[in-house]
Parts: sequence; structure tokens; C-alpha cells
Amino acid sequence: MRALGFAWRSLVRQPARAILGVLGVAAVGALLFDMLLLSQGLLVSMRDLLDRSGWDIRVSAGELPGRGGRVPAATRTAERIITLPSVKSVLIVRLANARIESPSGSPIAATFEGVRGYARPGDRISHPWTVTRGRDAGGASETVIDSAIAKAANLQIGSLITLRASCIGDREALPPAQLRVVGIAEFPFRGTDEDAMAGSLDALKAACGGNVGDEADLLLVTSVSEATATAAAIRDAVPDLYAMTNDEVVGRLQQTGFSYFRQISAVLTTVTITFAVLLITVLLTVSVNQRLGEIAALRALGFSRSRVVADVLSESALIVGSGGLLSLPLGMLLASGLDRILKGMPGIPAELHFFVFEPTALAVHIGLLVATAILAALYPMRIVSSLPIAATLRDEVIG
Amino acid sequence: MPAVASAEAGSILISRQLAAERGLVVGSIVQLATDAAGARAREFRVAGIYEPTPDPARLGAVPREVRMHLPDLLEFTRSPDLPTGSEYISDINVALVDPADAVAFSRDVNARMPGVIARPSSEAAGSAGPFRVLERFHLAIAVVTIVAATVFLLALTIMLVDERRETVGILRLIGLPARRVLVQVLIEGVIVAGAGAVFGLVLAVLSESLINTFFQWRYDTALVFVRITRDVALTSAAIAVPLGASATVIASWALLRRSGLRLARR
Repeated sequence: MRALGFAWRSLVRQPARAILGVLGVAAVGALLFDMLLLSQGLLVSMRDLLDRSGWDIRVSAGELPGRGGRVPAATRTAERIITLPSVKSVLIVRLANARIESPSGSPIAATFEGVRGYARPGDRISHPWTVTRGRDAGGASETVIDSAIAKAANLQIGSLITLRASCIGDREALPPAQLRVVGIAEFPFRGTDEDAMAGSLDALKAACGGNVGDEADLLLVTSVSEATATAAAIRDAVPDLYAMTNDEVVGRLQQTGFSYFRQISAVLTTVTITFAVLLITVLLTVSVNQRLGEIAALRALGFSRSRVVADVLSESALIVGSGGLLSLPLGMLLASGLDRILKGMPGIPAELHFFVFEPTALAVHIGLLVATAILAALYPMRIVSSLPIAATLRDEVIG
Repeated sequence: MPAVASAEAGSILISRQLAAERGLVVGSIVQLATDAAGARAREFRVAGIYEPTPDPARLGAVPREVRMHLPDLLEFTRSPDLPTGSEYISDINVALVDPADAVAFSRDVNARMPGVIARPSSEAAGSAGPFRVLERFHLAIAVVTIVAATVFLLALTIMLVDERRETVGILRLIGLPARRVLVQVLIEGVIVAGAGAVFGLVLAVLSESLINTFFQWRYDTALVFVRITRDVALTSAAIAVPLGASATVIASWALLRRSGLRLARR
């Protein structure tokens, strides 16, 4: 009988402890798998989100878009950037806080995204939202809203909404403005805790009572060819501003805001692995200690030292392997729950995920489990390999 | 940037990180401007260096901050085409004689001053959002860890109890009832679980400063990441001890249902 088959029989002979061992590894393995998904999940998800938006470069006043103030002289800056040969289109994005009057009485707080595009002749400008019903907003009196606002304020396509937008400060007391809803849209960068609406920069100006100024929160740029070279050209053209490719934005986020999750994932991965190694070692050691007489008898019958060592290793492999297999679906289930919890963070885009499946994470997970199985089996393997056959058998008989 | 001292310079406070990065000390004279070109730059004297209030929402971002007197700030940031006195401020913090009046005071201000929004500090603490989410996340991780530990614990106790099958069998044969043996097992379980809980707490206290030191160094912040409070210690003990004792009793239960003769038989 091969070592694996022998180990299988040893485990089946004690089903309760074997099942509990496997379940324990499955729970620990699920946590380990989730931590591996978390370590890169945000970055993978953010890169995907940025790439899907169709814009290659983000130009802003601060190191990270949305931080460090607004881009001054936005129109002149956009006109300067569009003249660069490697630039296909530029979009000025200005954000404002808006309060939409609702029939229920309490106003709905939303982020108003006002945009103005510049493109080369023949090129189309895409907006950072996707219209799902109706059409896109164009004029100074049109807007698109997300489905949550439409539902909360009972708005249809063609409805007129009354809102107060604030382009300068948070708490300006401005006169209300009216805009017509021409479409329902999805906003990929909308936070889970916020509602969004959008329109042209002129519509935003109308909503803010003209109190806007020529400033932008962000300029989105699509390049004709290589984004890195285009970003360098933009930096040369407007040296006061930051021009970052999607990869650079992700790299910057990796160093700042997202690094906490990588650190916590590294700490928990280490703790989880240590925990698993310790517990499986104890399980195997106790199991081996209970079977010392049996192992000594097998040695006396002709089983080689390497063979009994292989039996222990196979037992460890079976427990960790079965638990590891179970840990994958368990881990995915747990990841979706943890993802829901973390997406409760303010300002996190609804389409961003903290736990993203990647083949690399699976490979690392398998590698770590293999290492766990080997490490956990080292001490019990040492016990069986150095077992004195005659003395153990004598002790068993006398005992 | 450091500059030549001037008697007219206003005083400012700068964050520790900014001071370290720019080599500034108390008494340094710096020039500040509202745009990158340095137009309308003004001189200020560094009156002090402060540790910024830790903000979880800005974890990882180096806080290069300056604090100045409000009149200086308004004068400094006002557009040249705006007359003095036309500036606006974003917030006013109010300290009440009786903090318990915060809700009533806010309601009163909102009713009397349209266009101004007053909120008690407890409601305005939006930055606590990430804290609460992280707390829920850590709680979920803790629950999974407890489940895994419980399963392993059960497996271990089953093995340990099995190892003592003969001893239990002899105790039963000499007349000890199953209930008496079970009480003994329970006391043993409580002692072992209690010792384990104490060991775990000592380990947690030792690792507390290690984890805080590492993350405070990594993010250059005074934020405390791990704090073993009395409540946390008591909660851990309240979970660990009953869990350990229960695992021992559950594992022993099946064994004690067998007859003493069967247990003592080799």
C-alpha cells in the first residue's frame, strides 16, 4: 500500500478528528485566501476601473486627482493640452455639491459632475458616465441622474428637478435652479454612500448661479498613442500641474491610501499561516504520539524509516489538501461578505472591489498551503524517524 | 522656503512632517504663496511645530500642513479684486457651557439662521466613518478566527480526551460517577483555557507596541492602530475561557457515555 493510501486509512479510522482538522484548515485557509485577494484586490480593481473609463491621463492640481485644490484657468489649460500632437481629447471635470428638492420634503444630497470636452476634428468625446436610459445631457438646462436619485425623488425622463448646487463652499445659501432630466446614468466612480448627477459645465454653472469660476477639479485626457509620453508632454506644457497615467495613479494609490490594506493583509497572512502551522503540528504530533506502538510495530514488520516518515507527511498533505480545497469556495463566500463591509467606507466608488480573484493569488495560496503541510509535518516526522523500535514495543507491552 | 528674518512676519504653526522635510525650526522665516508661481508671497515666522491630529481618511498621505491665525488666512487667500471683509469661512466651532445642550443648541441655530447648518460634533464626525467600517471588518476577521480556533480546539480536545480513555475508565470502575468525572474534566478545561487566555493576552500586549511602532513608522503618524483595553481583554477572556471549557466537555461527553469497563479495556 502506498503512503498516501495508508495515510488515508489512518485518517478514516478517526473520522471525527480528521473532519475537524480538515474543517479547521478550511476556515484558516479561507481567511488566508481572502488576505491574498485583499493584498492586490484594490489595485487590480482600481486599474480596471480607470482603464474602463477610456481616459489615459488625469491632470490635476495635486499629486492625486481630487486632492490638492483645483486646476486654475481650466479652459486655457484644456485648450493648451488639446494642441499637443499626441492628445486626442480633453475633458474638463468640475464637481459640486447639490441638494435636490424631493417630494418627500427632505432634500437629496448629490454630487454634480459638470463637464466640457475638447476633441480633435472627427474624434468623439466620451463622458465619465454611462447612460442606461434616455439620452446624454447636452445643453445648459439638461442633466442625467443616477437611478437612486430617480427612485428617491420619483423622477422620470423629462421631469424637471429643482436643486441648489454649491460650487465654492459646502454651505452656501444659493437660489434654486431648475434642470430637465434627459437620462438615467451609471457613474462608475460614484461612492457607495453618495448619489450622482451630471451635465455640461454650463448646466453646472446654471445650477451654481454662475458662481463657478474657470476652475476644474480634474482634466481627463485621451492620448493618440503611448500614454506615458503624452503625460510627459502635458507636464512640459503645463508644469504647474500633475499629469498622471492610469498606471501612475494606481502606483501612487499603492503608496498612499491603499497601502493600509496591503499591510493588514501581510500581517494577517503571517498570523494565519503561523496559526495553521502550529495547530496542524499539534494535531499530527498528538496523533503520532498515540500511535507510537503501531508505528514501531510497522517498523519491526519491515517498513523503512523513510516510509513511516512519508506516511506522516501524506497525512499532513491530506488534511491540508482537503482543507485547502474547501477553503476556496469558503474564501470566495467570505470575501464577498468582507467586501460588502469594506465598501461601507465613505467615498469608495461603488464599482471598486477590495477582494478580486487573481490566478497569482491562487498560486501563492497553494504554495503557502504546501509549505504549511511540510512545515507542520517536520516535528512529527522527526519523532517517527528517530523512534527506537524495540524500546517502544517493550513500553507498549509493559504499559 | 527659509528666508531672511523680518519683524513684520505673522506667526504660523507647521506640521512636524513639513518641518522635518524642509529643515525648519521654531523661529524660521518662510515665504508662503497661494499659487505655485509664488505670486503675492508673504513672510511668516514659524512659532511652533505641531503633531497633526491623526486622520484615518488621510492615512499614507504626508501631512504638510500650516496653521495660521484666521485674519492672516483671510487676508492671505483673499482674491485681489475682493474688498476686505467679503471673505467667508467654512466652519465655526462652538464650545457650550453644558455639552449636553448640543442638540437643542443646533436646532435653535438652524431655526434662527437660515442658510447656516449647525450640527452637534457627534453627528459631524464624518471622518469616523472609516473607523467604524474598519471596526466591522476586524470584527468579521475575529469571528472567522474564532470559528477556526474552535474547530481546531475541538479536534485537539477529542485527541487529548481519547488519550486519557484508560484513566477515565479506571476512575469510573473505582466508583466515580460520570458527573464527577465530567466536573473534573470541566475544571481542567477552565484551568487550561484560562492559562491559554492569559498567555494570549500577554502575547497581545507584547505585540501591541510592536504593531503600533511598525505602522506608526510606516505611515509617519501618531495614530494608534492596536490598543488592548480592559474591555478588549475581558471580552477575549469571556470568549476564550468558556469556549475552551465547552470544547473539553463536548469532547469528553461521548467518552463518558461508554461504560467504565469498555473504557479501561485495552
